Amino acid sequence: MPTAPHQHPSSAPARPDAATGRDAVIAFRGVTRDYGEGTGLVRALDAVTVDVEPGRFTAVMGPSGSGKSTFMNVAAGLDDPTGGEVWLAGRPLHALDDDGRTLVRRDHVGFVFQAFNLVPTLTARENVLLPFELAGRRVTAEVRERVDGLLTSLGLVDRAEHLPSALSGGQQQRVAIARALASDPQVVIADEPTGNLDTRSSREVLALLRAAVDDYGQTILMVTHDPVAASHADRILVLADGRVVADHGRLQPAEIADLLVTLEVGAA
Amino acid sequence: MRRDLVLGGWRDLGTVGLVAGLCGAYAAVLVTASSLLQALADASGGGAAGVLLAVVATVFVLVAVYVSAVVIVNAVDTVVAGRLRQVALLRLLGARGRALRGSVMRASGVVGTVGAALGAVLGVAATDAFRVVLVARGTLPRADYPVTSPWVLAPVAVVGVTALAAGWVGSRGVLRVSPAQAMSSAEAAAPPTSVSGRWRLLVTALLGVGGALLLALSAAVAEGGSAAGFLLAFAGSASAGTGLLVGARFVIPALVVAAGRILGGSPPSRIARRTAVADRLRTTRSTMGLVIGVTLVTTFASGVRALQTAVHSWSDLGAGQRAQAEAVLTTTTVILVAIVVISSVISAVGFVSTMSLTVIQRRREIGLLRALGFTARQVRSMVARESAALAGTAVAFGLVLGVLFGSLGAQSLVGGQTDGFVWGLPWPVLGAVAAAALGLVLVAALPPSRRAVSVAPVDALRVER
Ligand SMILES: Nc1ncnc2c1ncn2[C@@H]1O[C@H](COP(=O)(O)OP(=O)(O)OP(=O)(O)O)[C@@H](O)[C@H]1O
Ligand SMILES: [Mg+2]
Repeated sequence: MPTAPHQHPSSAPARPDAATGRDAVIAFRGVTRDYGEGTGLVRALDAVTVDVEPGRFTAVMGPSGSGKSTFMNVAAGLDDPTGGEVWLAGRPLHALDDDGRTLVRRDHVGFVFQAFNLVPTLTARENVLLPFELAGRRVTAEVRERVDGLLTSLGLVDRAEHLPSALSGGQQQRVAIARALASDPQVVIADEPTGNLDTRSSREVLALLRAAVDDYGQTILMVTHDPVAASHADRILVLADGRVVADHGRLQPAEIADLLVTLEVGAA
Repeated sequence: MRRDLVLGGWRDLGTVGLVAGLCGAYAAVLVTASSLLQALADASGGGAAGVLLAVVATVFVLVAVYVSAVVIVNAVDTVVAGRLRQVALLRLLGARGRALRGSVMRASGVVGTVGAALGAVLGVAATDAFRVVLVARGTLPRADYPVTSPWVLAPVAVVGVTALAAGWVGSRGVLRVSPAQAMSSAEAAAPPTSVSGRWRLLVTALLGVGGALLLALSAAVAEGGSAAGFLLAFAGSASAGTGLLVGARFVIPALVVAAGRILGGSPPSRIARRTAVADRLRTTRSTMGLVIGVTLVTTFASGVRALQTAVHSWSDLGAGQRAQAEAVLTTTTVILVAIVVISSVISAVGFVSTMSLTVIQRRREIGLLRALGFTARQVRSMVARESAALAGTAVAFGLVLGVLFGSLGAQSLVGGQTDGFVWGLPWPVLGAVAAAALGLVLVAALPPSRRAVSVAPVDALRVER
């Protein structure tokens, strides 16, 4: 790795669960993900070992096809690693079956995808409340207040009873963010959440994610191509060819752009 | 304009072909059988039976054609709804909406005509084979039977034209697509919510209320022993039935919504309930055929059962006479049900195909639900509940209507000779219909939902553009 390892308290232990249960929300240990076989084999993740610490905003960057989406999907238990260990909230995703991983996702992960985030037959508010109901949690007055607060700060109050088809792309994206934050998950996984938004909406969304980290200690893992978006993060991971090639603390947009260019030139 | 620009290929229109084929085969069996009976009647000297048979056969065939038309409209509409983005892209590249729609319509017409013709050939062959067997066994006398009647071409043509027209109606969605939709990130356009209609509502109400009044009147008149009762009952059923057909898009979704409440408030139930009525027209079309089919079967079964009950209560008949009358009535039930069951079969085929198609089209939504924490079981149960809300409601409604119409019909015939109103409750038929409905719900829901959850959520969610 070209850069210094990130400053986390414990170095990678042989058995990660002791450490991961405590310090890392997500822990990758030598994770590999292959697609296809034989000559058509693509190694989307190549022996990745990395920890994502709680209460921080981590950005994942890298060129197209570098394995960012695969990294997020494996981290969230949406996809199975070919080899290695993945721990989420202290649970070994690599050892769970489909139902087990579904329950971990349901109880501990909030999602924001690039597109198609909302269930079309549910209103904005119902979409936000869906994770609570799925987990069999009571929608208490406190939850309602929190959801109303989120919808207000996202400028969605007067849109709350609309179906997704009546919302703009940016509004749909904000509803998805409200949903991801509302259930107070262990980690919010966002794959290019601002990819479809104009500059202003995307700044709003980023400010909101940042505030969730600062005010509630939310853990966020976000893929982005945009140096400005990444500059909101506490930590920037750069992937290339399925490997973590850079791991930095907070950077300015210009520094991030330079970093990406350097890495591309270095790789070429 | 090449057909496969909008539709993926012949597979998309499989339902159209199958439905047209069933309808063609059915019509061919009825027409061929009437020509046989006509030949029999000619051989034995009587001639009038043929005309009556032709009328009855025509009515039954028209009912089947109507149900097929509804099913085909829905099949085409569902396929087109799954390809709106593709249509939008074609429009963006310069294709005209009308031309695209025309290509869908022609494809539906061609597939419908071919299906009906193949079905007719099979129907004629099956009927003639059956006749040969009956003649060989001595059940039918030897006579100069025709292979079929030239009239068999009429239903084939009618089904073909119907498929063409249904393709036109069903592809209306193509015109609603704007080229800009190809670039929008919203998945599906909002279904048309406002269903045109103050006039429709008014006509529905008039026909429905008028029909109900006529039916009540017929029961009362017949109780007094007047023969006018049957005419009144006929007019009442016709009026109420037409009212239901005209107003199905108000009545059926409302019933499905009400029935959906039974499912409870868990997320799978709620999404199932909403999806079942997300597009009121599609909800109506995919279940209307079932209502018609089940109503027809139940009406005949219930009417005959009410007659049987009445006969049973007539103490002036001897035991032998009573047994004979009941045997005749039982045979009549079997034959009548066998003749009218086709509408149920056609609409069941349509229902299964619509359910599977819509589940396949919703794979991204299902991927999202799985990502958010729906287990595979919950997804399967969600689809099964949706299927149950739709088919269960339709079948239950058909059963109620059928028992009403059948009992009222019997009352109008023999009301004067019985004490009070006799309900015809043919339990074996009702039970069989309910069991068939349960089977239909499962067959329509399980295979597509199993396929839907076998795809990993990541693959289902992948943006394909
Ligand atoms: N289902 C799949 N089958 C085969 N190969 C795949 C599959 N999914 C991803 N890949 C391959 O794995 C590699 C990493 O893909 P991934 O989607 O993670 O990239 P990414 O960094 O998210 O790219 P982008 O920025 O374009 O979204 C790519 O080479 C891709 O072609
Ligand atoms: Mg990606």
